Amino acid sequence: MGNKQTIFTDEQLDAYQDCTFFTRKEILRLHGRYHELAPHLVPMDYTNEPDVTIPLALIVSMPELNENPFRNRIVESFSEDGAGNLSFNDFVDMFSVLSETAPRELKAIYAFKIYDFNVDNFLCKEDLEKTLNKLTREELSPEEVTLVCEKAIEEADLDGDSKLSFADFENMITRAPDFLSTFHIRI
Amino acid sequence: MSHYNNTGGYNNPAYHDSDTLEIDRSPSRKSQSHHSNPHGNPYPRDDGAGGERGRSDLQQLPGGVQSSYNDAQERVPWGGWQEGSWRGRDSIPMGLLPPRSESPRWQQHDLNHSGYQIDQATHYDTTPPVRLPSATSGHVSMRFRGSRKMSLFPVGEAALGNLGLSEDDIRNEMENEEQNLVQELVAMSTRDRIKAIRDLPMSFDDKKHIRGQVLALKSFKKSRQLNCFADCSKTVSLAFRRCGANMTLAKQTLELWRGTMKEVGGKFGTGVLSYFKFLKWLLMFNIFSFLVNFGFITIPQLIYHPTPDIPAGVSFKGLEILTGAGYFSHTVMYYGGYSNKTQGTGGLSEYNMQLAYFFTVAAYMVLCGAALIYSMASSFRKKYVLADSGLGGAWQLLCSWDFSVTNEKAVRQRKNNLRIQLKESLSEKVQVALLPLTERLKHYGVFLGTWLLSTGMALGCGTSVYFLSSGSLLEEAATLLLPFVVSLINLVVPLFYSLFKKIEHYSNPRMQVYAIIVRNVILKMSILGILCYYWMKDVANTFSCWESIVGQALYRLVIMDFLFIMLGSFFGEFLSNVIGTKCIQSLGVPEFDVARNVLDLIYAQTLAWIGIYFSPLLPVIQIIKFFILFYLKKVSLTQNCQPPRRAGRAAQMQTIFIAILFFPSFVGALSMVAYTVWTLPPSDKCGPFRGLNTTFSAIQIWMDDLNRVDAFQWTVWIYQHVIRSEIFYFLVSLIILVFIYIFRQITQGRQLLIILLRQQIVNVSSSELSGPTCLVHQSCCVRSGCVYVMMLLKCRSNIFS
Repeated sequence: MGNKQTIFTDEQLDAYQDCTFFTRKEILRLHGRYHELAPHLVPMDYTNEPDVTIPLALIVSMPELNENPFRNRIVESFSEDGAGNLSFNDFVDMFSVLSETAPRELKAIYAFKIYDFNVDNFLCKEDLEKTLNKLTREELSPEEVTLVCEKAIEEADLDGDSKLSFADFENMITRAPDFLSTFHIRI
Repeated sequence: MSHYNNTGGYNNPAYHDSDTLEIDRSPSRKSQSHHSNPHGNPYPRDDGAGGERGRSDLQQLPGGVQSSYNDAQERVPWGGWQEGSWRGRDSIPMGLLPPRSESPRWQQHDLNHSGYQIDQATHYDTTPPVRLPSATSGHVSMRFRGSRKMSLFPVGEAALGNLGLSEDDIRNEMENEEQNLVQELVAMSTRDRIKAIRDLPMSFDDKKHIRGQVLALKSFKKSRQLNCFADCSKTVSLAFRRCGANMTLAKQTLELWRGTMKEVGGKFGTGVLSYFKFLKWLLMFNIFSFLVNFGFITIPQLIYHPTPDIPAGVSFKGLEILTGAGYFSHTVMYYGGYSNKTQGTGGLSEYNMQLAYFFTVAAYMVLCGAALIYSMASSFRKKYVLADSGLGGAWQLLCSWDFSVTNEKAVRQRKNNLRIQLKESLSEKVQVALLPLTERLKHYGVFLGTWLLSTGMALGCGTSVYFLSSGSLLEEAATLLLPFVVSLINLVVPLFYSLFKKIEHYSNPRMQVYAIIVRNVILKMSILGILCYYWMKDVANTFSCWESIVGQALYRLVIMDFLFIMLGSFFGEFLSNVIGTKCIQSLGVPEFDVARNVLDLIYAQTLAWIGIYFSPLLPVIQIIKFFILFYLKKVSLTQNCQPPRRAGRAAQMQTIFIAILFFPSFVGALSMVAYTVWTLPPSDKCGPFRGLNTTFSAIQIWMDDLNRVDAFQWTVWIYQHVIRSEIFYFLVSLIILVFIYIFRQITQGRQLLIILLRQQIVNVSSSELSGPTCLVHQSCCVRSGCVYVMMLLKCRSNIFS
């Protein structure tokens, strides 16, 4: 493009452009954000793909994630080791899926992962209860929590195994046209 | 390179225990793993007995099989070694990828796994097994993500064993699948391929890997092809892609208001943000219109007639900004300021003002229409809801949280709201299904009354506007009366309509919003319709330079509308806030009324669209107006309003707004301009079409001119036999109707199929849970269940694609 930036090689930027929903400018901007999270750790020069990860605690301190009730789960879902340490590629991946142009199917996959607290590939009652507690600051009584979760499972469970599989979840998502716009974090 | 890692290692048993695991590609682990773990089946997913390349995005095994599997927790924590191999893979620069000739080695699997060598140069060694995406719809199957080996679908090893697959078969399966994925991607066009890669639910590193393989394969193929044509087309398509990427980049560099929209979205959520996004989108229309008009119409006029010929005695007074008459009426601001001559001397520097004017306006309208139809269709497709579902508990729990809200207070408020809503929905008694007959009759009577009243008010306002306009004088200050009254009506009468809310009882709160929207649209469009009728019937016959008069009237309407929007903001938000907080505490802080504001925007844009023909520089005013409006509304919002209490269905409202923008607004403006161009005689003293019978005759004259030149006979032929012939349009309409009918039947058939399949899922799974049956039967059901689910999802994806 004519910009003399030395952070990434052109091939790297092409790869980022092809594999994520970001443009070159946004990738560079994302790199800036990543760098400012941990300036001593993250090198400015990524041409030789350094192996740097930033821990969970620093990532969730970003203003975009700071107040999100699911911030820990979001970061964990996109980290390679599952503990929330994001490399730059994971970082880009995370915001790419959460961007405006990501398709609904992709978002549904990751939303399911985020809500699946015990990582058993089902949204069982405990997962829903944890979700509910995060969403209501734990101000509902335990009976109310149980009731709501039971009602939710009853509504969405298609195959009757009293937990929500991905098919059930995706089915519910298709009925929620807002999902595309609400499952979106601007950066 | 430093690592930060909370747990200090990757072998987090709590995490990995529940994982189902990937194929071990490292030779050392392979032999150990199989023997040490007889129960733990590392292959998480059944691929449908090996033969089936299901193009579904998931394969679900019913719950009955799960229980036997979840108990078998002797999973080998395979985290550690995998990490090493992932890391190694990352640093393969693409240039070193081997050509295809080495690939067959990868496909030979022998039981000693000598083929799987961790060779840094090959890209196949640590490739995770990959599911096939569906090529056409971009629908992707579930995948393992990165090295966490998280399969979304743990599968009972019992079921797999029953399906008679050995581990080797499954491994071969997965390698073949990955090969197939790469082959598929290679076969696609570049655009489709990029879309497919982006849609893969893999980690970025895996995607880069796949992409690298695909590119290597393509370059290998390319090096074998000596076809010049393929080369040319390849470079052309590459150039196009670069161009498209550059355009997106350019669009982003002048990305307006990114920070502001982020701030507004962070505090008020996506519902309110949709208003600002709509405003920005309309602004783009106006900027485009301005560029086109200014470039093709105004600049040539200014080049050849740099000073407008203003009659003596008329000078610039300040009032022109409001009235648009006086000094402005002789400038290029309006239709009358343009000459009808062919400018320039001859040859290349000839510029036919008539044709330029006509084609500029026509091209702009056509492009606008296309853009509107496209965004309406894509919005409808993305946000179309298959079955009508209420705002149930599951939706509230899982889909309603707005991830873009970042302000702490706003988040807290939303949590409170959600809690209140959940409590409400829990404590709701069962709704009385049928009210007694008298009650229902009373409700219908009330509905009828309010609708009659609202339509009557709209018509009454329309007629009063008509009489006012036909009686209005031409003196400059008095001409402001009409727009003043119109804008006053547009401000006050919707407030009346919202009073009806107290009387009516709609069963669904959304119906209430729809009712308000429909009433407002009827009001605004009927007023505009009556004004247009007046202009086309009376003004066209009475005044000499009537297009400029109409242009001035529109200018005044636009300015007045702007002033009244500011007033409305003052009353609707600032005063409500003051009243709500200081005087009547029970009202509270007002919410931002998205519907009302968006309808105001649509009305303003309709005025601009009508005015394109009569006043080519009206978009300038519109641009300034929208700019100021953005900042005004933002300030008003942040100072006076609170975030919305109910998480509403903003997405569907958006589709409706775009539809309203298209149907009464754009189509109305287009039909008015088309009628003017087609039938009304242009004024003979001013404007580019003076002296002609209708504006369209300019085209006729041009065609006659072209007829004399032999080279353009084909254009004349197209004009006479396609554009002017009625048979052509009749045939085209007929064909379109037939297609619509066919597609509708197909859609209905698919909807029926979805209902049937859904029922079958329930049947299959309930038959699963009912008692232990023979495992073969289970596996058959599993397989058929898989098939049914895959068919279901494929149907759904086809409907949506």
